[in-house]
Amino acid sequence: MTVYSFYIFDRHAECIYKRRWLPRPASITSKSSQPVSDTPTVANGLTSVSGPSTRSQEDDAKLIFGTVFSLRNMVRKLGGEDDNFITYRTSQYKLHYYETPTNIKFVMLTDTKSPNMRVALQQIYINLYVEYVVKNPLSPVEHPGGVGVNNELFEQSLEQFVVRSY
Amino acid sequence: MPVYSLIIINKAGGLIYQREFQPGLLKLSTNDYLVLAGTFHGIHAITRSITPKIPNLSTPSTSTTPNPSSSSTPSHHASASTATSTILSPSSTSTPGGGGSQTPTAATPSPHPSSSSSWSYPNPSVPVSGLETLETEKFRLTCFQTLTGTKFLLFTDPAMPNVEGVMRSVYELYADYVMKNPFYQLEMPVRCEGFDRGLGGFLRGRA
Repeated sequence: MTVYSFYIFDRHAECIYKRRWLPRPASITSKSSQPVSDTPTVANGLTSVSGPSTRSQEDDAKLIFGTVFSLRNMVRKLGGEDDNFITYRTSQYKLHYYETPTNIKFVMLTDTKSPNMRVALQQIYINLYVEYVVKNPLSPVEHPGGVGVNNELFEQSLEQFVVRSY
Repeated sequence: MPVYSLIIINKAGGLIYQREFQPGLLKLSTNDYLVLAGTFHGIHAITRSITPKIPNLSTPSTSTTPNPSSSSTPSHHASASTATSTILSPSSTSTPGGGGSQTPTAATPSPHPSSSSSWSYPNPSVPVSGLETLETEKFRLTCFQTLTGTKFLLFTDPAMPNVEGVMRSVYELYADYVMKNPFYQLEMPVRCEGFDRGLGGFLRGRA
């Protein structure tokens, strides 16, 4: 199973964290190998990636937010207020969604063969986000532009969590 | 294992058929169903265009990203961002059409010959599609898009097996009773008694 990317959106619809993983080359798939992550960073403040692109990563994040937001509203309209959108799948990828009671949205894109990742997203929220972002006394309450979420501890443990388990 | 309802959306995003078979989902007004059809049509196109693009790892010159150091420390923004731009440029330059209709194997010519360019979709053997199934806590939505762009949305119980088979039968009924009806106007709402009867007999029997 491969994880392609991971996003966190806050309750103001802003992307406060995003990260992409490249699939590791098939020859060196040992768990201990250094993960090939192409964007180790990603605080939104970085706008240097633009180049000649017509659609940057920020636009991708916005499209993903729009998609999960619309789907969530659609699901609530049909299934009732207490229904929750969990995942969708296309022929190429699978998107997993988890929303906390405080409207922080966790989104993960994986390959189509992956099992249900709702628990994994919940664990990322409980064990990583709450521990390293919310409980960090230096972290602001809101995270405009990803401030406070992009701390080293959170990033490293997220990296470990994803690489170790998947 | 009930089928809750069926929605058919024409290729322009208009609602042409909606029918409920089992109670289970909330009832919406006709207007809301029209909005839902249009919204879904848009989301379907977007889910297709946000398909992750995998840079080809066969070219070692570009794919081995220049970060031999630890990859997760945010201290080397400069090298990381350059790596990102070289990796991302092929994908970004190949999408100005916006339709997302290009095939991954067509290796769109890149303006950067240095970064021997290409990306592929995760499953190159399968054509790129939009949303196919969506799961929630209460229902599962299966979407089937025909070659002509008509979309069939089947709302079922999350545990229902073999939705594909049901979908195929619904499509057959549609072909038999709607498309072969000489009075049916293409892309217009479906009002064919035979189709209603066929669906009712087939789907109610599965409750």
